[in-house]
Amino acid sequence: MPRIPRIGRDRNDDEGQPERPEDRDVRDAAQASPPSIFHDEPASAEPTVVHPAASAPAEPEDDLGWEEPATAAPEPAQAEAPKREPIVAPGFAVMGAGKEADAPKRVSVVNEPPVDPTDEYAWHTGLVRPHGMPDAVEFIDVHKAFGRNKILRGLNMGLPEGKISMILGPSGTGKSVCIKHMVGLLYPDQGDVLVHGESVPNMPDDDLFEMRKKFGVLFQDGALFGSMNVFDNVAFPLRQHTDKAEEEIVATVSSRLDEVGLGFAGDKFPNELSGGMRKRAGFARALVLDPDIVLFDEPDSGLDPVRTALLGELIQEIHEEVMQQRQESGGPLPAFTLITHDIMTARRVAEHISVLWKGRIVESGPAEELFNSDNAFVRQFLSGESQGPLGME
Amino acid sequence: MGWLAVPKDWIATFGEMSKFCGKIVGQVYGLRVFRFFGEALRQCGILILSSTLVIWGLVFIIGLQCGIEGAYFDRSVGAPAYAGVFAAWCDLRELVPYAFGYMMAAKVGTGIVAELGSMRISDEIDALEVMGFNSVTFLCATRLLAAWLVLPFMYIAAIGAGFFASYLAVVQQIGEVSSGGFFLIFWMFQNPPDLLFSLLKAMVMATGIVLVGCYYGYNASGGPVGVGTATAKSMVLNIVFVHLIGMLGTQLFWGANPRAPIGG
Repeated sequence: MPRIPRIGRDRNDDEGQPERPEDRDVRDAAQASPPSIFHDEPASAEPTVVHPAASAPAEPEDDLGWEEPATAAPEPAQAEAPKREPIVAPGFAVMGAGKEADAPKRVSVVNEPPVDPTDEYAWHTGLVRPHGMPDAVEFIDVHKAFGRNKILRGLNMGLPEGKISMILGPSGTGKSVCIKHMVGLLYPDQGDVLVHGESVPNMPDDDLFEMRKKFGVLFQDGALFGSMNVFDNVAFPLRQHTDKAEEEIVATVSSRLDEVGLGFAGDKFPNELSGGMRKRAGFARALVLDPDIVLFDEPDSGLDPVRTALLGELIQEIHEEVMQQRQESGGPLPAFTLITHDIMTARRVAEHISVLWKGRIVESGPAEELFNSDNAFVRQFLSGESQGPLGME
Repeated sequence: MGWLAVPKDWIATFGEMSKFCGKIVGQVYGLRVFRFFGEALRQCGILILSSTLVIWGLVFIIGLQCGIEGAYFDRSVGAPAYAGVFAAWCDLRELVPYAFGYMMAAKVGTGIVAELGSMRISDEIDALEVMGFNSVTFLCATRLLAAWLVLPFMYIAAIGAGFFASYLAVVQQIGEVSSGGFFLIFWMFQNPPDLLFSLLKAMVMATGIVLVGCYYGYNASGGPVGVGTATAKSMVLNIVFVHLIGMLGTQLFWGANPRAPIGG
């Protein structure tokens, strides 16, 4: 099981050396895991099983000088720290609990089945838990490679209508590539992508441009047009795609800008905005045509935690608002899809989660069920734990 | 074989470029570009405001040089009254088209690569596409249309600037021929088809420069460094292209017939 070495804990190298501040930060962060996302959850009463590999005293990694937390000698800084009860997620076992009260506590992924280390898809059950809604977007056995680099390797995934979905997965695993496939910016080498049942790769150009009007996409940096001010950026799709009068366009754009808190910045150009403001302006532009499917490519990157939380709330509010409108008007229910690494955002916002790794779905389904999944990879990723199937490789 | 890789790569790039350029020209001839006529007019404005003065200035300087060199050469062979020949030929047929092409490549071509390239790496082109716009039409065809709308007038005015500069050099500065004598020879050695041929040379150059700029900018990759590399490549290709068109145009229009009252 791959592990991240803890800086400053290697006796062979650091014995007798003064502790560096950065080392202390790293250690404190490790002690604080799992994150506070579990605060509001009751500890599980069910017996937990620690994988033998996680508790075995003599592992090959030990040869590299890594130390088991339970046997680590407490350092002065730790001894002075106020004692706190360990925060444990349901289904997670505290290693070394009851042995040394002051020893650093860690959690470990449980219920790991023994796996064949040569099988890179050992954790990919491909389990699709029912969500009760038709899929707005479907990936059917999609393969995509850039040169020798295979990104998607038989991806089967559905994004349900009427829900806020989230595609989660480690970096470089093909999440952004998925978005580009949905809107027809990339075509699969093999397989098919369906949007409301229509095959994107087989669409003629004119149909493709028409189909794209169903989408609103928030790119990572907003992708605002540098030659236009914020107001014109948001108004651009309306002016080009609709016959609305200028007064109506002004009202719609002003309303959208107010929603994202940029009512005052309409005359500013993108280079005069902060990263967060550009992202919010991009959000307003993505929503201005009331699209059926909205895609957010890492909406939380570069934002502070408070703004991330506010953006998440905004996404929920707008989703609810559009849901109500569509339920009244009878149109297709809105499918909002976020790509992110931020588990906090996933906890707050997601109604449906697909966990993607190595170009395939590990598991997907309603968010609550995924957060309680037995799959070791899913549990590790959704808890942000360093120990588990996912390493630095 | 390793050495074949480079020419193969060139041929592949040339094929891709031809296909891409054909698509842009098709969007203009198919009149699809008129859906974004407002954007085309904006590009016209940018061309006029940002490139006119610098092109006219360069051509004016070239016209001065041509007038001075022509006047002194004709004096050296005992025919100072024929200095107008240089103004008529050198300016109209060669130097003004070249100066125009150089400045188009340096100012307009690289500008297009830099602008489209930065749009590409900041996802703006993808954003256009996912909003349901044909980005080739919106970004490239509008620029080509703008070039075709603006540049003929700009070029004809540039020729005027070159002629005026030569007149100043020959008649006002060197002063060995009267104004009437200068214009007698000047008009004798050119006629309206020469102006048309010169205009054709320049417009083919301008079209090629805009298309090459669009190709390298639209297909830029590899971040800011990639945009810089694409800009440099486009400049090299455009300079070669300008000379190629200059040479072929001269051969085609004046190679077999000098179109001048000389000899038989």
